Amino acid sequence: MKRTLPGLVIMILASAVLAAAADRWLHIRVDEAGPHGERVRVNIPMEVAEKVLPAIHTEDLHNGKVKVNEAEFDGVDLRVLLEAVRTTKDNEFVTVESDHENLRVAKAGGNLLIQVRENKGHAKNTEQVEKVDISVPLQVVEALLAGGKDELDLLGAIRALSAYGDVTLVTVQDESSKVRIWVDSQNASE
Amino acid sequence: MITRIGALAGAAGVMLYGSMIGASVAIYDAGAVRVSVHEKSADGKSINLVLPAVVVPMGLGFVPEEELRKASREMQPWLPVILEASQALADSPDGVLVEVVSSEEHVNIAKRGGSLYVDVDDSDATVHVSFPVKTVAVVASKLATIEPDGEKAAERSHASSSAPGV
Repeated sequence: MKRTLPGLVIMILASAVLAAAADRWLHIRVDEAGPHGERVRVNIPMEVAEKVLPAIHTEDLHNGKVKVNEAEFDGVDLRVLLEAVRTTKDNEFVTVESDHENLRVAKAGGNLLIQVRENKGHAKNTEQVEKVDISVPLQVVEALLAGGKDELDLLGAIRALSAYGDVTLVTVQDESSKVRIWVDSQNASE
Repeated sequence: MITRIGALAGAAGVMLYGSMIGASVAIYDAGAVRVSVHEKSADGKSINLVLPAVVVPMGLGFVPEEELRKASREMQPWLPVILEASQALADSPDGVLVEVVSSEEHVNIAKRGGSLYVDVDDSDATVHVSFPVKTVAVVASKLATIEPDGEKAAERSHASSSAPGV
């Protein structure tokens, strides 16, 4: 009994870890403002996304990889840019400030952060400011760019996201709605 | 002699009983397709339909060939996606997949215990549809074997493999 117990404990722990890795969910939550605002919740098991994506074949999407035109990146080599971002310390790379919009691109805690604040109508009321926050783990960005030069590996990115811990990817908030996209192990939205 | 007839009748009874239990278990395992529609108007109709999922593939046999070809033609590009999605959903954990709540309607799509549940409640009617996820794969597989031009893929494959020089 004493011999089998450690093995049993290891097996149970391994099963729990595997189950946790398998049961990952991508959540999308949209809440429209107002008493009659629509509320939308979408919860997708990551393993379903992983299995379905390679089966979708459209003009630009094949085997989980989407073709992109070089011109769409305005001649910027994303891989070189990413490598530069990955190897540098946490920092702020881009800040653009104008009357109606502030943009910030930074690296913090292993995530690529994009923050946009758009002031519609130059309002002083913070409720009227559109806020967009995107946070993508660098491993996911790396996986996305791991394919060929003119393609994005969506399947690779989803797999990297599945292996990553709980993360909030996108939040958008303005006077009419709130949107949140995140990944965790819960089978329902909060 | 009477003892022998009795023994044979007993054995036949056990076999019949066993077959019935086996069939019942198979039907129970396959689950059921449930459709219920309740219209909310004063003279609104109510429809309740419960079918064992095992009869769905058989039911496809009664659908006119032209209708099946039309469905196959329209769904052909998406059949591999539907097959993969149904298989992946069948293996995935239970949970609410989609929920939409507004002042006009409430839509809920959930997966529970191998079945997909679709509930819609709006100002006109309440609709409930549930079916085993694997039934979708069965129907998609059936549609995949039907060639849009009328010839069944399986028959064509058999004909080409038995053709001279193949």
